[in-house]
Amino acid sequence: MGETKRRWRPTPAGLISGALVGLGFGLSGVDWGFIALAGLGAFGPGVLRELGWLRDRDEFQLEAARRAGYHGFLAAGILLFVIVAQVERAATGDVTYAAGPIVMLVLGVMWFTGLLSSLFAYWGPRRTARRVLLIFGGVWLLFTVLSSIGEEEPGLALLMQSLIVLPFFGLAWLGGRWPKAAGIVLLACTVFFAHFFGLGRLVDDPLSHGRTVAMVLFLGPLASAGLAFLQRDPDDEPESPLPA
Amino acid sequence: MKSRYDITCHLKRHRLLAELTQQDLADRVGATRQTIHAIEKGRYAPSVGLALKLAAVFEVAVENLFTLDEGEDDG
Repeated sequence: MGETKRRWRPTPAGLISGALVGLGFGLSGVDWGFIALAGLGAFGPGVLRELGWLRDRDEFQLEAARRAGYHGFLAAGILLFVIVAQVERAATGDVTYAAGPIVMLVLGVMWFTGLLSSLFAYWGPRRTARRVLLIFGGVWLLFTVLSSIGEEEPGLALLMQSLIVLPFFGLAWLGGRWPKAAGIVLLACTVFFAHFFGLGRLVDDPLSHGRTVAMVLFLGPLASAGLAFLQRDPDDEPESPLPA
Repeated sequence: MKSRYDITCHLKRHRLLAELTQQDLADRVGATRQTIHAIEKGRYAPSVGLALKLAAVFEVAVENLFTLDEGEDDG
């Protein structure tokens, strides 16, 4: 039977929290104290739901959110131990790190991990992986187009830089037909690019801010898509016969 | 539909026989269409309460909607 899906609409809580996050980040240029609004928007609805004061999610959505939170906790926890080791090691050499970028990095990793976990719950791992690759490729392609503006030979620059992006569209297509092969290729790409970006140097200095952000934003989608393609997906199972 | 859990879900077959959409069924049991979709795809095992509500919609026992995989009974 064909499904007529209701058009998705944000909930009032979602609208308010989104507005607070936008307002907080927007006003942080005036005074960093306003970033608290963003925190309120990001975490307030979850607190209210756990207290039972906000009932806008059913049991599946709540479980997906809790699982996403646990996965984000695990990812952020691992990252924090690496950061603590580096900060303490650097302190002996009178090197200090600003707290703000560290906190934003940890929150970013936690948020991204939680987002992927939620998407796995709603879409399934393989559909999520294909969409992550398409969005990832699209964003990088857009960045490539924009950065080629002003080049002496924009066509050549665009062509060269887009060669890096096109394989991800290809892998999204491959993942739809041969998910395990796509998963292996993506994990191999992750290892390759980790070496290319200098993972060894990152371990020595994980708080090299730009390098860490680049690795998270580039390697994160690749590794997560690769692992997702290798997961067993209930969508691949045959339909069960009618019960007797 | 085989589940990520050790159960097999027959919900979709009953729903189609009853000529209900996922949204119709979701409205009847107080859930979202996403939840019904996730249950049918085997990505989510409903709570006891929700399973009983689903069974009540089709006027069948819960065991007609969800069955344990053979060989998984620890006794």
